This record gives sequence, C-alpha cells and structure tokens, in this order.
Amino acid sequence: MSNSVIDIKSIKKVYKMGQEEVHALREVSLNIQQNEYVALMGPSGSGKSTLMNILGCLDTPSSGNYFFRGKDVSKLKDNKLAEIRNREIGFVFQTFNLLARSSSLKNVELPLVYSGLKKKERDEKAKNKLTEVGLGDRLDHKPNELSGGQRQRVAIARALVTNPSIILADEPTGNLDSKTGVEIMKLFNDLWKNGNTIILVTHEEEIAQHAKRIIRLKDGLIETDEINSNPIIYN
Amino acid sequence: MILFIRNIFDNIKLGLNTLIVNPLRSFLASLGVMVGISIVILMGWVLEGLDNSVSKTFEIIGVDMLYVTKWDWTGNTNWKFLRSRKNITLDQTEMMKLMHNSAEYVIPNVNTWGKPVYYDGFKFDGFTVVGTSYQNAYTPAGETLEGRYFTQFEDEQAAQVVTIGYNIYKQLFPEGNATGKFIKIGKHKYEVIGVVKKRGTFIFDFIDNQIFIPLNSLSQNFGISRRSLDIGIKAGSKEKLDQVRTETIGLMRTIRDLKPNEKDDFSINETKAFEENIKKIRYTVWGVGIGLTLLSFIVGVIGIMNIMLVSVSERTKEIGLRKALGAKKGAIRFQFLVESSVLTLMGAGFSIIGCLGIINIALIIVKKYFPDFSDVATFFPPFLSPQLVIVASVVSVVVGILSGLIPAIKASSLDPVEALRSE
Repeated sequence: MSNSVIDIKSIKKVYKMGQEEVHALREVSLNIQQNEYVALMGPSGSGKSTLMNILGCLDTPSSGNYFFRGKDVSKLKDNKLAEIRNREIGFVFQTFNLLARSSSLKNVELPLVYSGLKKKERDEKAKNKLTEVGLGDRLDHKPNELSGGQRQRVAIARALVTNPSIILADEPTGNLDSKTGVEIMKLFNDLWKNGNTIILVTHEEEIAQHAKRIIRLKDGLIETDEINSNPIIYN
Repeated sequence: MILFIRNIFDNIKLGLNTLIVNPLRSFLASLGVMVGISIVILMGWVLEGLDNSVSKTFEIIGVDMLYVTKWDWTGNTNWKFLRSRKNITLDQTEMMKLMHNSAEYVIPNVNTWGKPVYYDGFKFDGFTVVGTSYQNAYTPAGETLEGRYFTQFEDEQAAQVVTIGYNIYKQLFPEGNATGKFIKIGKHKYEVIGVVKKRGTFIFDFIDNQIFIPLNSLSQNFGISRRSLDIGIKAGSKEKLDQVRTETIGLMRTIRDLKPNEKDDFSINETKAFEENIKKIRYTVWGVGIGLTLLSFIVGVIGIMNIMLVSVSERTKEIGLRKALGAKKGAIRFQFLVESSVLTLMGAGFSIIGCLGIINIALIIVKKYFPDFSDVATFFPPFLSPQLVIVASVVSVVVGILSGLIPAIKASSLDPVEALRSE
C-alpha cells in the first residue's frame, strides 16, 4: 500500500437541487498506485466529472474517506485543499485554460507563484518544463500566437512544473484535431514512461485505449475497472 | 505575508493589464475618485497658501504688538455694548506712556476715514488717515520703501508731513518718486516724506491704504476730541507679551478708574485674536472640502466597486483556474484589492497632474487679469507639496481597498468547480 497515491473508500456525493437530492456518486472505492495510467470513462451524468473534481481536490465528498498519499483529505478546508492542489495535482483541461495576456513562461510559472517561489527559481523551472514539452523556443509567445497543440503543451508544462503526484487530464484532446491529439497522447505516454501517474478523463474510447487501466462509471457507481490488455503505446 | 509582498509586483502588473484592456471603462469608473482626490489636493493647496499669507500677515501686524482699543478687532463682542464704552482719550494714552514699565514703546494711534486726498488735480477716496507718534517707525509699519518717517521734532511741531502707504503710492505716483511732492488731505497741504513698504495681503489689504501723519497735526487739522484713540504697545519680543499684557490691563483699569468688580471697558487686541478667525476660515474650507470629498468618494467607491464586480464576473473562469492551480482565498482577494488600488492610484496620478495644471492656469489668469490679487498669488506655490502628493496617494489607495473589498471577497469565495465551468 505504500505506493498508493489515491485511496478512496466508499465515497458518496449528494447535491441538493431544491427539494430533490441528486446522488452524483452513490458509493465509489478506488485505489490508484504510483505510475499508473488510468482512464476514467463514462457517459454524461455518470458521476465522472464529480469523481474527477473530488480526485483533484476541487471538491470534497459528502461521506466516505479520501486518502491522498496516506493523508485523509476528505474533510480539509478550502485553503488546505488549495495547498494540496498546488503541490500534488497537475491539471490539464480540455480548453487549455491559459491566461490569454500572459506569455507561455508566465502561464507555466503561475502554480509556482502560489507556492511562493522566488522569481528566479520560477523562471528556471518553467523554462525547463517548457523545453521538456518541446516549446523551449516559445517562451515569450502568448497563447494566441500558438497553435492548439502548442497551447495544450504549455498547459501540460504548467501541470508538470510543481512535480505533482498525479496529472489529472480532463478531455485533453477534446479541442484538438486528431493529428494533434495523437501528438498530445504521445506526450502523455512519455510522461508515464518517466514515472508520472496519469488520470485521464475522457468519453472517447480511442483516447481511453492509451491508458493501462480503464475505469468505467455509470449512474454514480463504478461499472467496470479493468486492466487494458492491449494499450496503444508509442515508442 | 511574504508571499503577498513577493507577488505584489505581479499583481500590480496584472492590475495594469486589466486597466489597459479597457482604458475608457477604467477612466470613467475612476472619475468619481479622481474628483474626490482633486478636491483633497486643491483644498490642501488653498490651505497651504492661506497659512503662508496668514503667517506673513501676522508678521506685518507684529507678533509682539498689543493694541488697546475701544472696539474689538475680532468683532466677537456685541456692538451696542462696545459703543457704550468710553472713548480712549489722548490723556489716557499719555498716562499709559508714562506709567508703562515693561513695554518698549507705547504709541498712540487715531484714525480718520473719509477724507479725500488730492494730487495733481485728481481726487482719491478710500484711504485712512492715521495720526500717530514718531515711534510708529519702530513698528512693522515703519519700514519705508523710499524716504523716511517723521521725526520726534516734526511730531511735536505738528508738521504738515506725511508718510504714505503702498496702495496710495501706487495710485498717486505710478511713476514712483513720491518724496518731496505735495498732496492735499481734505483742505490741508502735506509734504510726502516717505513711502511705507508693501505690507498687506489679501486678508489685510487695508493697511496699505493708510496715510501716516503726526498725531498733533491730525489733532490740529481734523480734531480728535470726539475720536477714540488706539494704543499700540510694542512688547519688544513675543516672549514678553504675557507680562506686557498683564501690566497694560492693570494700568488701563487704573487709568480708566474701574472698580474691581467692573469688567474691562476696553479691548486688548493682538495677532492671537486673528488666529481664531483664521481657524474659522480653515474649518470652513475643511468642512466644505470634506463634504464634497466624501460625496465624490461615495460616488467614486460605487464606480470602482461596480467595475470590479464586472471584472470578477468576467473573469470567473480565470479565478477558477487560479484556485485549481493552488491560489488560496487570500491570494485571490489580494489580487483584486491590488487591482482596485492600482485603478485608484492611477486616478490619483491623473488628479495630481490635473491639479498642477489647474493651479498653474489659475495663477496665470490671476496674474494676467487680476493684477490687484497678484500679490496674493505669491503665497500660493505653483507646485504641490510632497505632503499633499503623499496624502493624495494614500487616500486613493484606501479608497481603492474600500471599493475592492466586496468584489475581492466575492471572487475569493467562488467555488472552484463552478468557476471553472463558467464561460
């Protein structure tokens, strides 16, 4: 169990919509080890997004426990959760979510700003990560001067810059053409090979096939949780 | 905290960014604050000028002078009561002069108004003829621009000589060279022997309209039996004032035969009395200024708050992203507070520049079109003192923080999931 990054135990999430209670997650338990590559799948309304938000410490469960690297984070206050997001979780979004008026470098530095690093250190780390994702020559470019694929690479560099325990990617190829999508998936493949733990949230079967383990949700419950016997692997 | 300080420049840049993206909107939003800050600046500037001219005026009246009079300078006491007081006579003045120990000089003064002055075929009105002793030369009224004051001999002989005030000099002798010329006061011919230096400021302009002649001459030509004299008492230094005042009151009561239970039937006037009046002016300026300032700041705060609330809702997604990347509530609050402060500080910058323009234009207009007031203008500097600039900046930041508070709290308490989902 020492390699367990995420360990959730019978968590539930109930939303109140007026008088009605919506059970987004009925009872979910899940364990993800270090350096796993997991795809989280499910149709809309399956609780996929809710689970992703809880995994990403953006939200807390109504009941049950969530152990992140052995620490119970299910009842933490906002600021404590912010600290965990900052240090442990790298987010990659479908719509990239870059600051439009800031350069690639500034965008990648942003999480480090919130961890209180000095400018010099921030610059250095951000530069390194941008170079790692192949954008060493695009440091001063603003998002509108970059292609979709390049933007997503900036976002990935931003997710990596704090050396987080997990990378949580929400439909990372959703806004990209298939060719660029493949490039991004190759990048995730490389990250996994380098020892990163990746959780991929998607509704596309083809994208999910890159993962080594596929978890399918339905109606707030885990329907299947299987090892992908034939994952797509790039060399 | 260290984190905050480290990020302050990033936040300021961010704030500037927001500003630049929509400059017209930012400008309009901070208009109210700009008006408020401008009022603060202009008010401070006016008060500084006022202080300058007041301290100058006090020097002119003489900070070590007391004036014993029937009337009260400050006009605080009721007029009917003052009128019922007995006149101060020449004899009383002479007694005071003989008996006073601590005073340097005791100088009688008697004024007569409404006497026309003639020179070179022209008639001039509005001057005060002051009969006084030669010792008036040792008061601040004694410094001459040209010529001299009358001597003890001329004083005793009731010589027909006159030392004129600066305004009279300017009106009668615009070309200069008054000394040696003859003027007529009423029917009587006087030789101009000197001109007193300009002393008046806008609050004390009348003292340059004074014409000084020997008291005996005034007595002879215009009569003093029905007039009340003023007694000018020069203490010699500000420190001696208390002692001199005490002795003066005691002597005056003895001379005027007052019983111990009777109130003083004379007034002791000194520059201190004016300080009360000046205070009133200051309070009025402050009162009006603060009223207007508060009003425009209320408008200003609403303007900035509104624009910041718009900014928060426009940037909900960005706030969500920042939270997802680990921004704590404080960091988000700080970001928006810095932004609103940058907005108001920029407003302060514009106000300072604007006010500099306004005061310089005002000074130029006064000098060009109102030459009578040009000496007033010299008390008002054509720049803003560093204190004023600092006050304006601090006030603007406080207003910025006040108006940013609600939007900042709103932004910081957004739910990250909801915020990220917004478009």
